[in-house]
Amino acid sequence: MKPPRSAYPWHWRVLDVLERVVETAWPRRFTKGLPHAMLVPVVLLVAILIAGLVEMLDSSFRVLDTNTFLMSDFYTLDNYRRALTENFFQSVATRSFIASFIVTAITLVVAVPYAYLMVRTQSPALRKFLLVALFFPFFIGEVVRAYGWLIILGNQGLVNEFLGLFGLSSVRLLYNYSAVIFGLVQYMLPFAVLMIAPALTAIPEELEAAANSLGANWIRTFRHVVLPLARPGLVAGGLVVMTLSLTNFAIPAMLGGGSQDFMSNVIYDQFFRTSDQGLGSALSILLVIAGSILVGIIFRLFGTGSLAIKGARK
Amino acid sequence: MTLSSVDREPADADPTIAVSVRNVGMRYGDFDAVKDASFDLPKGKFLTILGPSGSGKTTLLRLIAGFGEPTTGEIFINGEPVNAVPAHRRAIGMVFQRLALFPHMTAAQNIAFPLKMRRRDARTIADQVERYLDLVKLGGYGGRRIDALSGGQQQRVAIARALVFEPDLLLLDEPLAALDVKLREEMQLEFRRIQKELGVTTINVTHDQREALVVSDEVIVMNDGVIQQKAQPILAYRKPENAFVANFIGVTNFVHGIVTGVDGGVVAFRSGGKDLRGIAGGSAPQLAEGAQCSAAIRAEQIRIVTGGETPDRFEIVVEGVIADTIFEGERIVYEITVPQLAEASLRVFDHDPAAHTQFQPGARIQLGWNSKDMHVF
Amino acid sequence: MSDEKFLSIPLRRRSVLGSIAAAGATVALSPLGAARAFAQEPEKPAEIIVRAWGGSWVDSLKAGVSDSFTELTGIAIRHDLTEDNEIQPKIWAAVAQNRMPPIHVNWDTTTNATKSALRGVTEDLSDLPNLKDTTDLAKPVGLDGYPIVNTYGYVYVLAYRPSAFPDGPPTSWKDLLDPKLKGRIALYNDGIGFHFPAQVAGGGTLEDIPGNMQPAWDFIAKVKQQQPLLGEDPDFTTWFQKGEIDAACTISTNVREAKKNGIELDWVVPEEGAKFDTDGLWIPKGLPENELYWAKQYINHALTKQAQQVWLDGLGLPGVVPGLTPPEDLVNDPAYPTTEEDFKHLIRISSKVQVENESVWFSKFKEIMQG
Repeated sequence: MKPPRSAYPWHWRVLDVLERVVETAWPRRFTKGLPHAMLVPVVLLVAILIAGLVEMLDSSFRVLDTNTFLMSDFYTLDNYRRALTENFFQSVATRSFIASFIVTAITLVVAVPYAYLMVRTQSPALRKFLLVALFFPFFIGEVVRAYGWLIILGNQGLVNEFLGLFGLSSVRLLYNYSAVIFGLVQYMLPFAVLMIAPALTAIPEELEAAANSLGANWIRTFRHVVLPLARPGLVAGGLVVMTLSLTNFAIPAMLGGGSQDFMSNVIYDQFFRTSDQGLGSALSILLVIAGSILVGIIFRLFGTGSLAIKGARK
Repeated sequence: MTLSSVDREPADADPTIAVSVRNVGMRYGDFDAVKDASFDLPKGKFLTILGPSGSGKTTLLRLIAGFGEPTTGEIFINGEPVNAVPAHRRAIGMVFQRLALFPHMTAAQNIAFPLKMRRRDARTIADQVERYLDLVKLGGYGGRRIDALSGGQQQRVAIARALVFEPDLLLLDEPLAALDVKLREEMQLEFRRIQKELGVTTINVTHDQREALVVSDEVIVMNDGVIQQKAQPILAYRKPENAFVANFIGVTNFVHGIVTGVDGGVVAFRSGGKDLRGIAGGSAPQLAEGAQCSAAIRAEQIRIVTGGETPDRFEIVVEGVIADTIFEGERIVYEITVPQLAEASLRVFDHDPAAHTQFQPGARIQLGWNSKDMHVF
Repeated sequence: MSDEKFLSIPLRRRSVLGSIAAAGATVALSPLGAARAFAQEPEKPAEIIVRAWGGSWVDSLKAGVSDSFTELTGIAIRHDLTEDNEIQPKIWAAVAQNRMPPIHVNWDTTTNATKSALRGVTEDLSDLPNLKDTTDLAKPVGLDGYPIVNTYGYVYVLAYRPSAFPDGPPTSWKDLLDPKLKGRIALYNDGIGFHFPAQVAGGGTLEDIPGNMQPAWDFIAKVKQQQPLLGEDPDFTTWFQKGEIDAACTISTNVREAKKNGIELDWVVPEEGAKFDTDGLWIPKGLPENELYWAKQYINHALTKQAQQVWLDGLGLPGVVPGLTPPEDLVNDPAYPTTEEDFKHLIRISSKVQVENESVWFSKFKEIMQG
């Protein structure tokens, strides 16, 4: 018997048909395998990544023959020797690492109050403003933003024109280490805020009120309650900022005036300027290894949150 | 103490008054959370602010704690005006609704927190924490993480933390609300014991009338941001200031009618076809002949006229029909419809279920009470 | 040689990599060519893809070579603006894997093209009929045959802002060491164009290249004290325009372009000389027979006098066909060498030496310049 239309609407029928199709295409006994099947795209992506790394590892042991511009048939450690011993690579690596530490520190210091205000403000208008200000840069992109700084900080830029109003001669604000740090901090800030905000949201406001009523002013409340509890967000945000800074390309290239290269810039030059895939690969592999070690150390130091706090409080 | 205006004078700076709330109002936009609240709380007393959710009781408590400044009025603690004093500089211990224990610290570290904030030396902190752990019967649990403690133990940590720095005032923001009945009753008595032991002035906020009556020296009943009555528990129960208080505390029946005469404290009124009497409720009764009135009578003041009871013990006897029977263990509650009183529905306890058989719905019975137990509003 | 030649596009090439690469990667060629003009001619492809630098560079190529080629043959020309150094690995990979290369003709620096030639991915162009009418400049130095055809030369001049040199134009690269130019000079970020004059300015000789370049490094170390800005072609124009710099070692074409845009600029070939180099056209291996034929026809056409005249008027550079009329503003200009005498002031080092050593030179230059 046909059920009446109202009791069995047409879209239920459509779903019935779909279910039957699915049943045929993917019989129920396969269902157990479904979670595994859903992993396939991830496995593929990782596999491609690994394949690329293996390829790079292979090239990293071959040197460029400048008579034929082919990679050598034999394996050698020469690229690694160059990468680890030549002053140029050392100074660039040192710069990249120190910069990534500085950028991480500054970014977190700026991001925490921003995220806190965004999470805690009573004013929906302010929250909206902070959110828009946070996401807006994502629509603009790194390179265009760096260009923005060229316009603002240039010798004839807004800042120097403003200084000119007070009779001050223009100052070279661009093309140095501080400009790169500044550009990176500005670029990383939204990432850090996005990572920290959920951690702050997870802290009940009542905890802060409690600390307050127990005699802690806002600074001590922040130090003893908010920061320790926001730690997972701080660690995650710090890691993202640090790794992205360490491997950044565009900001040092554009705001560094050519004299503030990071690892990525040097690697780019090897691949695309001197066509030396081998040295480029060796540098890439070293960057991956150094970055992984850094992340590992941070996990060791800060990863297990509460254990470390125990030690810190007594 | 220097005070500019007379109406901000706190209870003549009476040294026995711990907290004095003067004409305090709190406004959020168009909404008055608290309206013109005033009361004095003597030192060492346990006050409960009782009211339904949204009555403004928590807002009032938070103003006393220092989370926000009242829109109008002034709060005095130990005679000092504190409106401008931030929460962390008021010596007030507070136990929060969800306890607000610091999850990243141990029980002992939680209790040590207010002492640390007051920069006490390590020795004092250790001793004091130990003492308060013992006080709340948690000796030996200091090293436990908060999430390794039971709900009751967490309550005890919260109390110890709020008291360890010997505050002038202890505030309890419905900390027992989430507990199951057994544990709640146990903790109520525990609060009372600790409060008595330390003699700390305490303000408790709750919507649980039983808790208010059990633990308090004084009860304030709030509704719609307004203090309805402030009295000792027994007086609030026996002499409710208005219909709201009468209804909110205890199991109360209301009979509606028209006033037929007022003679001093006694009010005569007619409900359905029946003439009844009661005493005028509240401190300033405003009842005139011909006015609508509600008469409140507690469920336990109405007796079922059978067994040991005789009709002549009661000034008023009516006939009723059992509508429903609710078995509560130590007592049975009957819902009884009284046709004589305009079909009023009355709830009546039978405290001696063993004395006679349980009435079944539909059974006709006689009910009796005395006019002095009826409060007319 | 700098790898980038965006002139008027105010974007660094790295920002536009993605989109350009995507545009250049897909090559859709119709299997059915246009109607055959002659029976003996191979089938015409629907289009020929020519890699080019953007801005005024591609505009000049289009006006001088591509448009007239299309007019003659009916074959459309598509310009692929993938950067030269980024098309290179793609072509190399395509040849290594026996795939169709992504482009038909590559407009490239002779140095870069030499790398491809050494790697063996270039087609030999010796049979182009118009080669017989070209000067020596068209022939790549140090390579067998014509794996590349050079199409014009250019000079890495000392460009300067006249107002910053009130006592007259600079005469030597050493003038860059003037303290008042501190932070006001610019070089290519790999030092290209500057290594050789620096060798002379540092007291060395060109014969010592590449054996002993210490004089060059010493001089470059002194220049480093002047805190130069390091960049690529588009940067120089921007920097001059924004008043960031007063002097630079750059290709005359960039300066001329900036001048046309109304920036007060001039250039000299200093007494130590200036680097002269060439650009060329080449064809990657792996094209179908007929497409190879028409790609060769394109290069052959680029060597005609008419095509050279229009193309190089746009670039302001000397071509490889005798009898071209220099643009009015460049008559007797040291950066537009035409006579034996002109070339005496210019430094020309073989591409072979350059490609073999540039990795070392670049690293050394960067090492000095870092920090």
